[in-house]
Amino acid sequence: MPGSRVLLVDDEVVFTRNMSKLLTYRGYKAIAVNSGDAAIRELEQADFDVIVLDLKMPGMDGITTLKEIMKLGLFTETLILTGHGSIDTALEAMKLGAYDYLTKPCEIDELVAKIEAAWEKKEGQG
Amino acid sequence: MEQEPHIVQNGSAAAGAPDMAAQRKATYARLFRRFVWLTILCSLVPLLLVGWGINLHYTRFARERMLNFFETQVEYHRKIIEMFLNEHSSKLQLIAQTHTRDEIIEPKALQTAFEVFNKDLWSLTDLGVIGEHGYHLAYAGPYDLWSRNYAKEFWFAQVMQKGLYISDMFMGFRKEPHFIIAVTQSNGDQKWILRATINTEAFRSLVENVRIGKTGQAYLLNAEGVFQTSPRLGGAIMEKSTYPVESYHEGIQIRSLEGLKGADGKERPRQIACQAWLKNPRWLLVVKQDYGEAFGDVNYANAWTLVFLHVSALSILIVSVLITRHMITIVKRRDTEADRLNDQLMQAGKLASIGELSAGVAHEINNPLAIILTERQLLLDAARQLPMSGPEFKAQFDDSLSQVDIQIQRCKRITQNLLRFSRRTESLIETVDLNAFLREVVDLMDREARSSGIKFFTELDPALPPLLSDPSQMQQVFLNLITNAIDAHAGKPYGSVRLTTRADDERRQAKVHVADTGSGISPAHLNRIFDPFFTTKGVGKGTGLGLSIVYSIVKRLGGTISVQSEPGTGTEFTIALPYTPPKELRESLAEGHART
Repeated sequence: MPGSRVLLVDDEVVFTRNMSKLLTYRGYKAIAVNSGDAAIRELEQADFDVIVLDLKMPGMDGITTLKEIMKLGLFTETLILTGHGSIDTALEAMKLGAYDYLTKPCEIDELVAKIEAAWEKKEGQG
Repeated sequence: MEQEPHIVQNGSAAAGAPDMAAQRKATYARLFRRFVWLTILCSLVPLLLVGWGINLHYTRFARERMLNFFETQVEYHRKIIEMFLNEHSSKLQLIAQTHTRDEIIEPKALQTAFEVFNKDLWSLTDLGVIGEHGYHLAYAGPYDLWSRNYAKEFWFAQVMQKGLYISDMFMGFRKEPHFIIAVTQSNGDQKWILRATINTEAFRSLVENVRIGKTGQAYLLNAEGVFQTSPRLGGAIMEKSTYPVESYHEGIQIRSLEGLKGADGKERPRQIACQAWLKNPRWLLVVKQDYGEAFGDVNYANAWTLVFLHVSALSILIVSVLITRHMITIVKRRDTEADRLNDQLMQAGKLASIGELSAGVAHEINNPLAIILTERQLLLDAARQLPMSGPEFKAQFDDSLSQVDIQIQRCKRITQNLLRFSRRTESLIETVDLNAFLREVVDLMDREARSSGIKFFTELDPALPPLLSDPSQMQQVFLNLITNAIDAHAGKPYGSVRLTTRADDERRQAKVHVADTGSGISPAHLNRIFDPFFTTKGVGKGTGLGLSIVYSIVKRLGGTISVQSEPGTGTEFTIALPYTPPKELRESLAEGHART
């Protein structure tokens, strides 16, 4: 829902910047970071409703980042975003606690729909 | 059994194949020759050795048996003749010694002795008592010889000198062949001779009746080689024989005679002769036979052995050629199978490598695509919020963004296909009624087919059981195949696509044939149709991934795909799908089901 806090984690700087702008236009509070480490640091400092996490990143990859996020025990939902389309990895991520996954390239409306669904799940749990 | 990808070409072989085929042909020919020679060598040599050994043994045995037979004949007849002569000599001596001259010249006494001699066998022609002066003192017999004087006859001196004399055959006064046995006896001053003329016919029967085959005969020769009995073949009694008489020897001698001439002057064939000398008189008993007849059995056996060996050798040759040909056929089949498996392996390896590459390329393209998409969205958002400089600019702006969207979607389709090809897509196993499923696919494609003048025909096996498979992947397979089948009719006003299903319960698989009447695939292209990015369609009309994806999906579902094509006539794809998916696919999907 607009106003939700969304953390975008992707090593593609332009993509996270653009996606951040698009989400902001749609009323979300989007923060973009470009690595797994940066995401963990950001999560330690602020609360987010939904995390959009790229799987393939240099350094700490998406799966490792997700494991670290889960260790933090945050009240948040994670969406996996991948350009690789690897079902096995996506399924592994969901097994680790991710809510759902999307494949690149995806329309902003599609992402928004997934964010909404994730937010509703989070709120439902709360 | 169908394997994958099984490509049946009806055209020429692939490039480079002729050299390989010629090389293979030469190898098979060499292999054929070696096998045949080896088989013949291994079979014929023992056969020849055994045949030769048996034949040698038999020949030696038969020869010895034949020679023994000859020796027995000669020995037997020599004894009989000697016994005859000894008996008569002894009897004459007995009569001479038990009678005085006066007693024996009594006509009745000599007649009685003559009759006693001939009591059992008419062996004497006559019996006479001859005085020292050479005239008969007494005579019992059919001839009138009273006036004859024998004092100058050759035998007279001999008997007077030796006391016992057996003559050779001679004509004498009676002018017919005969021989005599004579003994001398003295009574005081009176010396007289008791002479018996042997019945020639009776004596000759002892020798001449010997019958050995057609060419075998027995006869007696004196030391000068004159016949003492008539030979059965060639020559007559008292004629000079061509038989080479050698000096006296003890025992029996075997001789091989070659180049002898008969009485008619013609050269006789090679003969085997067995001879033995009589002690008194010095006559040579000869038993002989043509070599060919004597050893006829051996020659017959040899001939048959030769025939047997020839027939056996011929049989071995034929069998070895047939067996070798059969073996070479098997080797050829195995080689073809190995080639096919190698091709499959290469194809699988190639596809696996390309699959990995495709996945990487898709990922690298997806990221910039995602950025382009967000940039487009930002522009759209900006256009909504910020004023445009004019309607023309707005129109151009909208048009360009629309085109950007179209091209993004196009790229997206390509990357999705690449990912699907590289198996990085999700599967879901469900129960599928293949016949119903194919009808739906046909319905889906019917409009497009009709617009191209193509009719669908279905021949669906009602006995086909439901499959456990992935309907979305199957849909992809058949949509691709049918799309290709429709496209194959480009340039043709009409055509057809026939879908046939068959249940193969034995192999627990369903077979689907998709046959079209399109342009067909050239042999040069047939080997490459499953290669990614290979297409014969125009630029922008095909990505070249359709059949690669089909192949990839069918393989993943545990099935096989094969293709037959005749350029200008059409193409038929045959897909075999298992009733149940392979274990590895079920396991990999277990997590997906759990999530669902």
